[in-house]
Parts: sequence; C-alpha cells; structure tokens
Amino acid sequence: MDDDVGTRDTPAEVDATFRTLRRVAVGYFVVFLLGVAAFPVLTLTLDWWSQARLVGGMSPGFLVAAFGLYGFFAVLGIAAARLSSAVEHRMLGEAAQPADDTVDEEDAR
Amino acid sequence: MTLASGLTLTVVLALVSVVALVMRPRGTSTVDFYLAGQRVGVATNAWAICGDYFSAASFLGVAAAVYATGLDGAWYAVGFAAGFVPVLLFVAAPLRRFGEFSIPDFLGRRLGSERVRLVAVGVVQLVILSYLVPQTVGSGITWELLVGQGVAGLSPYATGIVVSTAVVAALVSFGGMRGTTWTQAVQFLLLLGALLWLAATVIGEGFHYGDAVEQISTAPLGNPAPDGGLATEPNALHPGEPAVFGEPGARYDVLGQIALMVTLAMGTAGLPHVMNRYFTSPTGSAARTTTVWVLCLAGVFYAVAVMLGTAAREIVPGAVADNPWLDELTVDGVLTVPEHALPVLGRIYGGDAGLGVVAAGALIAVLSTIAGLLLAAAASWGHDVYERHLNPRATQRQAVRAGRITTLVTAGTAAGIGLVLRPEAFAASTPSIVATMVTWAFAVAGSALTPVFLLSIWWRRTTAAGAVAGMTTGVVVVIAMLTAGTVADGSPWPDLLLAPTLLAAPLTTVVTVVVSRSTAPPPDVERSWLIMHGTAADRHTQALARLVLAESRRRRREVRRARR
Repeated sequence: MDDDVGTRDTPAEVDATFRTLRRVAVGYFVVFLLGVAAFPVLTLTLDWWSQARLVGGMSPGFLVAAFGLYGFFAVLGIAAARLSSAVEHRMLGEAAQPADDTVDEEDAR
Repeated sequence: MTLASGLTLTVVLALVSVVALVMRPRGTSTVDFYLAGQRVGVATNAWAICGDYFSAASFLGVAAAVYATGLDGAWYAVGFAAGFVPVLLFVAAPLRRFGEFSIPDFLGRRLGSERVRLVAVGVVQLVILSYLVPQTVGSGITWELLVGQGVAGLSPYATGIVVSTAVVAALVSFGGMRGTTWTQAVQFLLLLGALLWLAATVIGEGFHYGDAVEQISTAPLGNPAPDGGLATEPNALHPGEPAVFGEPGARYDVLGQIALMVTLAMGTAGLPHVMNRYFTSPTGSAARTTTVWVLCLAGVFYAVAVMLGTAAREIVPGAVADNPWLDELTVDGVLTVPEHALPVLGRIYGGDAGLGVVAAGALIAVLSTIAGLLLAAAASWGHDVYERHLNPRATQRQAVRAGRITTLVTAGTAAGIGLVLRPEAFAASTPSIVATMVTWAFAVAGSALTPVFLLSIWWRRTTAAGAVAGMTTGVVVVIAMLTAGTVADGSPWPDLLLAPTLLAAPLTTVVTVVVSRSTAPPPDVERSWLIMHGTAADRHTQALARLVLAESRRRRREVRRARR
C-alpha cells in the first residue's frame, strides 16, 4: 500500500469524488452494455440488420462487429477517461485549493 | 527448417534476449523486480499489456474462429477487446493508487485478512495454470510449424515446449518486470508488424473486404466433416436453415453469444498477469490513460485479425490449384485446421519467408504471454506466500531470489503438463485444447475474482469473510459448470455451461454481499478509500517528476554553458 498520502485530500472530498466517479463509471457501463446488447436484439428483430448490404457487400451487423464496436469502445473509453480525470482534477487537490485560498485571502483581508 | 524460418527464429530470440539484457532491473529490491520500480510510461505499459494479453488465442485463434464460423467468430475478438472497458471504468486507476504487488496482495491488504490473501493466491494460481498450459501447448505446435525438427531426441512438439519455456523463464528470472516490460513491448510491436504486413500484402494483391464478405455469403457455410467431406454448418438462430458466413448463427444462439461476451469481458479484469501490469504505472491517472491506449490498440489488432480470417476464407479455395502444398491442408478448398488460416495466407503471398514471419508472430505471442504469467505466478508465490508467510523476515535479496526460483518452478510445472497434454489426444472431445483452456482461465477469473475485486474497490462494506465466501462460490460453480459442459452430452444450454460467467459472477456477487452484510468491515476502510479514490499520491508523484525534469533541464543548460 502506498503510504505516501498527501494531507490535502480530506475524507469528505474523497467521498464526494468517489460518489461522482461511481456515477460516471456506472453511467458509461450502462451505455457499454446497451451498445453491446443492441447487437443480438437487432439481429432477432430487424432483417435489414443482417441482410442489407452497405459498404461493399457487408451487412450493417457485419460492419458493426468488424469495425463499429471497436470504435465504440475506443470513443467510450476516451470520453470516460477524460471525464473521470476532469472530475478528479476539479474536486481534489490543486484545483480544489482556490476555494480554500480564496477563503484564506478573504480571512486575511 | 528452411533458411528463412531459421533466420526469423534466430532474429526474434536474439532481439528479445538483448532487450531483456539491456533493460534488466537496476536495483535488487522487490519493487524493482516485480514492479519495474513503478516507473513504466503510458505508451510502454500499453504496448507491454498488449504483448501480455494478445496470446496465440488472439493472434491465430481469432482469425481461425472467423474463418470457421464467419460473423460468430468475430465475437471472440469483440469480447477480448470489450474486456478493457470494465477495466478502464472500474479498476485501473484505483487499483494502481492502492499500489500493491499482486491481486492477492491487493485483496489481502484492502480487506485486512491473510485468509483472503491465501484464498486469492489459490484462485490466481488456478487462472495462471489454466492460461499457462495452453500457451506451452501453443509453443509446441508453433515450433512444429516453424522449425519442424526436434533436438536431443525430443519430438518437434516437445522441443518447442522445452525451448520456449526455458528461454522465457530465464529471461523473466533475469530481467524481472523491467526487462519483461520492455521485451513484451517489443514483442507486441513485432506481433502487430507481422499482422499489418500480412494485411497490407493481402490488400495489395487485390483483396476487397466488402466484396469478399458478399461473395462468400452467397453459399451456405461449410467446414470439413469427420467423414472426409464438407458439411454445412447448421444455423443456431434459425433451426433448419444453413448458416451463412456474413450473418450470425453459425455457432451461437442469442444466449450463447451473450454468455461468451460476458465471460470474455468480465474475465479480463481478473487476469493476474494483465492486472499486475497496472501496479507498474507511476500514477493512477497514468494507469487510466494506459487503458485507453490499450483499447485503441486492441481495436486495430482485432479488426485486422477479423479481416484476415475473412480473407483466408475467400482466397484459399482459389489458391489450391496454384499451390499444390495446400492439398494436404484442405478439403474441397477449406482448411482442415482453422488455426492454419494466417500461416497459409503468409505462405501463399510470401513463400517460406512469409510463413516464417507469421509463425514467428505466433511464437512471439506465446512467449510474451508466458512471460507475463510467470511474473504473476512469481509475485503471488514469492511475495504473497514466501515473504508474508514462509519467511516474513526475508531480506530484499532473499525475496527476489524466491521470486526467481518460483518463476523456474512454475515454468517447469507448466512445461511438464504441456508435454503430457498432447493436443491430438483431445481432438475427439474438444476442437482445440488451447482455446478451450484459455476460455477456462477467463471463466475462473471473471467468475471468482472480478466480482470480489470490483466490490472491494467500490463497496466499503465488503468484508474478508464475504470475499472468501464469494471466491470459493465462484470457483466451485465454474468448475462444476465447466465439467458438466465438457462431460455431459445433450445439455439444453451447452454454450452457457462452457462460458459460465453469466451465471457464476452474479452468484459470487450475491454471496459476497450477503456474507459481507452479516460481518464487520475492516477498521481502516476510510484510509483505504483515501488512498484508492484520492489523488494526493498521484499529485505528489507528478510534482516530483516535474522537479526531476526541471533539474535535469537546468543541468543540461549548465553543461551547455560550460562548453561554450
């Protein structure tokens, strides 16, 4: 366990960040599940999905399995990572300091 | 062995050995040996994770699955790639921030229990062995293909297992995590290079992906049958109709497709050799960014592998007339062993050199995965058992030596089992012992480890008793379902039994939650939360890195001034 934990993260700050990050992770995971689960649902319900021909001779289903889902995972991953990092940056540490600094400055005045 | 094959093999082994030698650990501490000093950069770690993760099952197996079952085979590729989405969302950053040596170490410290640590060691070893043995079998098969000759009276298959396991065990025990990281990174780049070369060659020779899918989807999908002819694949989605290459149904019904996806996607977060790599990142943020890189690289790798499986299906039948050596590998233009799809494409377009490049790629995939698995085994035996229980007063030197000895013993055990498990002995009961055992590893990891892992990171109330009960339930249910699926004929849900995570993971979760609710959580859970979900340590590391960078720039400026 890394014992070198800075003192600037208070339990309240970390708890708020944890709850926000959990919402972000669960939200993106639901999108991930919907994206993946849509494939078998469309296969069963929509003939166009398996039998239409779009690019060259590929059906929409083949296109999604061959390229689309990897792109979907990458975009989802980039968006989730950016949002999670932004949440941590705004709610913890240096970016959380200006509020305290402001208070200090106001106190000083 | 042709000159081209021998040259390829020599170059690959020499390159990997030189990298391991140059990048050997600089210190003798366990942090250096197991975690490469926790200073592995984002790109290097992403390449190394890919080298670790893309085994022969990814390199040869995905193309083979697509070749044999069309669109349904692509689900292996999608499942392997999808596994890193849960890792990114739930595991990477908090796992690194907690900063341990292994999965058992993480669970043991987080839940404050040595019993959890030891149960986790047992589960991790089960996963490692299930993953390691098929890799050694794969190395034997690849040696047969690439070299075709044995040494010291051994068969080519046995020689492949002994040589590859010995080389990797020596490199890992010598190079530790630092050397292994760089060899895996180089191995991944070579592997990706081999795949992209083959794709570029096939496209350059006039292959059109869309047209090929349309053309081979006009007839029912046929594969070699035991009677020596071709048999049309039945359609699992529309019984009574033949399966078609470009449409789903050649292998899985809806339940089977979902069960496979869940097993592969959940399993990744519990694979010890992949998760251990996250401990080598300098910060939690770096671990998260590394996973984004892995997701993008996996997308490219698997998309190309799926395309090449399609290319083999279209190209091989037309190539039989011009390539007489294909006669003994095919039945009416269809390969009898689907795993030959990529090597055959390599030989059609590149001759012996092309075959050498693809076979070397397969050998690289096997070697780099064996290396990661041996290190994970060393970390869990050497750190979690030897340092914590057998010799708690061990010096750093003794602990590192224990890790090295563990590496050699684990490699010897896996090689021994691989030598006994001749693939042809299992041909009647399973289409591929390699693919089957890798799926077992994903099933055990996803059912017994991943749920407990996720709950420990995201649910404060998780307790040691809950984790032990959950992991035990997961292992028992998975072994029972896999045994039933392998032994029992005529089961109504064969795909669910052979990809059991869909049922086993929720059971593990329920048992862990119920038992945890009836027991007291560890007393220092708030401290664990501060470390896992806070970023103070990340900021401290980044500030130190900025200072070091500024200092080195200042020194360079001073040196330049002094020279003037």
